[in-house]
Amino acid sequence: MDWTKQIGRYVIVMLLQVLLFNHLQLFGVCHPYIYVLCLLMMPITLPHSVDMLLGAAAGIVMDTFCNSLGIHTAACILIMFIRPYLLSAVVNDKERLNEQISLHTLGMEAFVKYVVILVLLHHLTVFTIAAWSWSHFGFVLVETAVSSLITILCIIGYNALTYR
Amino acid sequence: MQNLLKILLRYSNFLVFIALEVAAFLLIILNSAYPRSSMFSTANRFVAWQNRQISEITGYFSLRTQNEQLAEENARLRNMIDAMDSTDNRATMHHMSAKAVQMTTDRLHNYITIDRGEIDGIRRGQGVRNSEGVVGIIRTVGRKYSVVLPLINTHTNLSCRFAKNDYIGTLQWDGKDSRFALLTDVAAHMVVNPGDTIITSGLSPVFPEGIPVGIVENSTLKEGDSYHTIRVRLNTNFKRLKYVEVVQNEDLNEMEELQHGLD
Repeated sequence: MDWTKQIGRYVIVMLLQVLLFNHLQLFGVCHPYIYVLCLLMMPITLPHSVDMLLGAAAGIVMDTFCNSLGIHTAACILIMFIRPYLLSAVVNDKERLNEQISLHTLGMEAFVKYVVILVLLHHLTVFTIAAWSWSHFGFVLVETAVSSLITILCIIGYNALTYR
Repeated sequence: MQNLLKILLRYSNFLVFIALEVAAFLLIILNSAYPRSSMFSTANRFVAWQNRQISEITGYFSLRTQNEQLAEENARLRNMIDAMDSTDNRATMHHMSAKAVQMTTDRLHNYITIDRGEIDGIRRGQGVRNSEGVVGIIRTVGRKYSVVLPLINTHTNLSCRFAKNDYIGTLQWDGKDSRFALLTDVAAHMVVNPGDTIITSGLSPVFPEGIPVGIVENSTLKEGDSYHTIRVRLNTNFKRLKYVEVVQNEDLNEMEELQHGLD
């Protein structure tokens, strides 16, 4: 697997995240975290624990930009923990998992399921911890729904654009 | 012992997960109780730098909102100053911020349209100023908009005085240059120097005394004339006028009625 490509993609996506997506303003409910794209599309050739450590690293970088030390870290560790189990659950043809994780290797249905579940889980975790109480949970749900929609569209759009 | 190791190995991923999550939540709790680390926050030099770049770019897009807020704040502060200034502790002058939505500067009869009207308490004859100085006088009042007769309209007459010695004159516009107006009715015996400051006289209920109007640019006094011809450089830059304040005098009606009663 070409790791320079993974790192290059991470840098570009993080730039987009902190320069553009962190500054979206839409009634305070639209905070998409498109940087999870890099985590979701990472190949699963590495040991599971290394995966989680990479997730923690990506989370800490994001937290630095959001003044939310620990929140993205926790959410990223969580999705990186669940990722291999979810992949083996949604992908019928296990042969495909040896390749890159993308729309084209997994197929439309499996990839969309995979992305939707993990993005929703990640965003819900981030917003719930950030709210730090159940009294805003209705708002958290709206925030999760709107933001996840944008993130999911971005990830699927990215996959559609980079098809070759 | 061996069994324990086997179990640990078997669940090693889960244990790593738990350990990492515990660490993450420790970070969250410690950081929310007392943010120690400036490195992992936007106080981080690189993050702060990029955020400043962003705000410098996006700042331009919110300039309008910022200006509106500042204009409102100015009006509020001026109200407070007026309340402190008035000797009887009765604030009769109120300021209301407004935005110029349309204006001309290149005609003889220039007008400014502002986005405040009857529903905002605007009445004909109220004064209009901005932070630089006098702008004009309310002429026509609509429901939501009003038309201002600015200093740069040949119909305008404004009672002014010299800041240095309280001599009174009338400011008029000659229709030539939006930067200059003429001060008339200043008697020949009075010494006029370029640079003298002209302020509102306070003789009419339109403006309180002392709002800056302009600065004497030059004055001519021909042989036999009994009045100076004084060119005044106006403080207000009409070419880039955007936000104004309407001066609302509670006593405007009463003062006008009294004056009409005399006629």
